[in-house]
Amino acid sequence: MQNESVVATDTILKVENLRKLFPAERRLFGSVRYFVHAVDDISFEIIRGDSLALVGESGCGKTTTGKILVGLYEPTSGKVFVEQEDVTPLLYEGESSARKYIESTYLEKFLSMSEGDLKRIEGVEGLYAQRFADLGKNRSKFIEEFLKDRRERVGQLRRRVQMIFQDPYESLNPRMTIYDIVAEPMNIHDVGTIKEREERVADILASVGLTPPETFMFRFPHELSGGQRQRVAIARALILNPSFVVADEPTSMLDVSIRTGIMKLMMKLAQDYNMSYLYITHDLAVARYMSNNIAVMYLGKIVETGATEEVLHHPLHPYTKALLTAVPIPDPEEKRGEPNIKGSVPKPINPPKRCRFYNRCPYAVEHCEKSDHPPLKEVSPGHWVACYVVSGNAG
Amino acid sequence: MLVLLSVKNLKMHYKTKMGYVRAVDGISFDLDSGEGLGIVGESGCGKTSVSMTILRLLPDNAEFKGGEVLFDNENGEPVNLVSLAESEMRRYRWKGISMIFQAAMNSLNPVYKVGDQIVEAIQNHFPDTPTDVAKKKVAELFKLVGLDPTRMEQYPHQYSGGMKQRAVIAMALSCDPRIIIADEPTTALDVIVQDRILREIRAIQKKLNMAMIYISHDIAVIAEVSDRIAVMYAGKFVELADSVTIFKRPMHPYTYGLMHAFPSVTGKKVDLVTIPGEPPDLLAPPRGCRFYPRCPKGDKLCEEKDPEYVEVDKGHFLACHHPVQPGEVVQFNAE
Repeated sequence: MQNESVVATDTILKVENLRKLFPAERRLFGSVRYFVHAVDDISFEIIRGDSLALVGESGCGKTTTGKILVGLYEPTSGKVFVEQEDVTPLLYEGESSARKYIESTYLEKFLSMSEGDLKRIEGVEGLYAQRFADLGKNRSKFIEEFLKDRRERVGQLRRRVQMIFQDPYESLNPRMTIYDIVAEPMNIHDVGTIKEREERVADILASVGLTPPETFMFRFPHELSGGQRQRVAIARALILNPSFVVADEPTSMLDVSIRTGIMKLMMKLAQDYNMSYLYITHDLAVARYMSNNIAVMYLGKIVETGATEEVLHHPLHPYTKALLTAVPIPDPEEKRGEPNIKGSVPKPINPPKRCRFYNRCPYAVEHCEKSDHPPLKEVSPGHWVACYVVSGNAG
Repeated sequence: MLVLLSVKNLKMHYKTKMGYVRAVDGISFDLDSGEGLGIVGESGCGKTSVSMTILRLLPDNAEFKGGEVLFDNENGEPVNLVSLAESEMRRYRWKGISMIFQAAMNSLNPVYKVGDQIVEAIQNHFPDTPTDVAKKKVAELFKLVGLDPTRMEQYPHQYSGGMKQRAVIAMALSCDPRIIIADEPTTALDVIVQDRILREIRAIQKKLNMAMIYISHDIAVIAEVSDRIAVMYAGKFVELADSVTIFKRPMHPYTYGLMHAFPSVTGKKVDLVTIPGEPPDLLAPPRGCRFYPRCPKGDKLCEEKDPEYVEVDKGHFLACHHPVQPGEVVQFNAE
C-alpha cells in the first residue's frame, strides 16, 4: 500500500489487511454474537534495517499485532510477507490442512494424468508434477516429501522472526540456567554441534553486555537483576540471527538508569546484525529513540503513520495530537496544553460503521459519522493519516 | 510557625534471613501545608517504605531503627507518630495523613458498591456521622474528582481504570486529611488518563490547600506535580531542592544522570546517559557513598566515607563529596 514507487527496496516484513477478531460473547448454540475487533484491517511494511514503532494506549491492538507476526495468534484474515514471501499459510496453518491442500490441489489432478501429460505442466506446479512422476506416482511418498519440505521452511521462517517480551521476570524459565535458556532455540532448530552452541552462546552473551559470559552461563534467572534478565531475553531472541524481531515493551519494566542501556544495546545490535524491530510501546519518547518510522494505533486501526520525527513534530491526526500533548514533560518550567480529546477509549466490540475516533474527536463533522472508518491517505510525502477532516475529504 | 510534617533521620530496616535490608536509612525532610513534595527514585530504593513508615503500615519483619516523624496536630505540640500506640496512630491515619496506594485500582473491594466503601471509611473515622450525611459528602467528593455521583451505586468492575483511580482519590479525601501521600498514583494508566488524573489531583490540592507527597519513578510525572523534589537512592535522600533547581542545576551525579537518561518526545534528541551498573544490594550497601560504585566522579574519599546530607544552598540539600559544578558535563562511561 505504501511505498508503491519503491517496490524494489528490500522489504523485510509486509503486512496486508491484517485482522484479528476475538469472540466476545456467544449465543446459546455457540455462534458468536459479538467480536472484539482487536486488529482491524491494518497494513504496513518494514524495510531491512529500519524499525517501526507501533504506539498506542493499552487495548489498541499493538501487542496482538506483534503476536500475530511471530505466529502466536492466527489472524482472522490478511496476509503476512517475510522477505517478499507470503508466509501466511506457513505461519498459521497446521500440517493437516497442508496435507488436505496437497491432496485437493495436486494429487487429484496428477493421479488422473499420464506421464506425458505430467511432463507438459509448467512452472512451480510442473516441478511438483515431475517429482510426482519421479517418485513412481507414489501418493504417500509424495505427501511425505512435500510435508518434510514444508516443515523445513516453517523452521527457517521461525528462525527469521523472533520476539522479546515485556516482563523479563516472567519470560525466562526459572528452572533453566542462562546457558540453557539462550541455547534452547538452537536445540529446537538443531543448529550446530554442542561445542559450536557453547561458543555461540558465549559470543552472544558478550555482545549483549553480560561479560564475562562464563560467570553468567550457569546461573539461574533469579540470580540476575531485571536489566540483566532483559539482556538474556535479547540474547535468546538473537541467537538464531533473525532478520526481524518483535519487541513488545522491552524496557517498560526497567528503571530509568538501566533502561537507556538496554535501548542503546538494542539499537547497536540492530546495526551490527542488520536487523529490524517492530517496537511495540506506549511511550512515545522511547519510540522516538528506537525507530525510524512510527504507526499510531487506535482501537485496532492505524490512524497515522510516517517517519518518526515527522509524525512527532507535525502530528496531524487529532488522536496523535492528544496523545502527544498528554505526555508529561520532564521540565518543571515547560507548561504543556491540555489534550483536546473527549471521553475515554470505548471497547472495540462490534464497533459502529463510522470513524473509530468519532465520539472522542473534537473536530468530527457529520461526514465522519455517516461514512466508514477513513482510509489512510498520504497528506505529505510518506506521512499517512486516516482522517476525513485532515485530508480534506469531510464532504 | 510549625511545619506540618517534619521527618528527622528516619530509619527503618526489614529483617530477613540474610540480614537487615536497609530500606529507609536516615531520611529527613519537612513538609509545609499546601506544598507538593515529590520523591523520585528507582524501584527498590525505599521510596514506598518511607511512606509506609510514616503511616506505620509496615509488615511484621519491619524494624524501626530510629528517628522521628513530627506531625503538627493543630493544638500546640507536634506529635511524634513513631512513638504512638497503634490505637492512637489510627486517629491520625486517614484523618491526618491519608494515602493513595500504588495500583489503586486493586484497592477497592469488588463486592461492595464504590459509594458504600467510601461511606464506610468516613463512618470508621467519624462514627457519629449519619449515613445520609456521609452519602451526601461522598456525592460531593465524586463531583470534586470528576465522577458522576450516580456511579456511587455501582461496583468497581463497572468502572474503567481511570474512574477507579478517581474513586480512590475521593476515598483518600473523604476524611479531610491534611496530607495525602500518593504512591505512583498514575503508573498503570494510559497517558491521556494519566494527564487528566494529574490535573485533577493538582487542582484539588490547590483548592483545598493540602500538602501532598508524590512518590514515583517517573521524573516527568514528578516534575509536573511537585514544588520540591527529593531524589532517593539506596535508602537515602541524595538531593532535595525546588523542582526547577533539581532539573536545571542538579548537583548530585546521580540526579544529573537521571535527568539526562530521560528521553524527550519533542525536545532536542540528545544522546541519553546510561548510568553503569545496578543499584546496590540494601542488605550490604557500600561502606562509603552508596552511589560510589556507579559514580564517574567517585574517589578514595567517596569509597571510605559516606557524605553527609547537608544544606548547601538555601533549601538545597545534598549528600555528595564532589558536587557537579555549574556547566560541568559528567561523563558516564557505561559499557
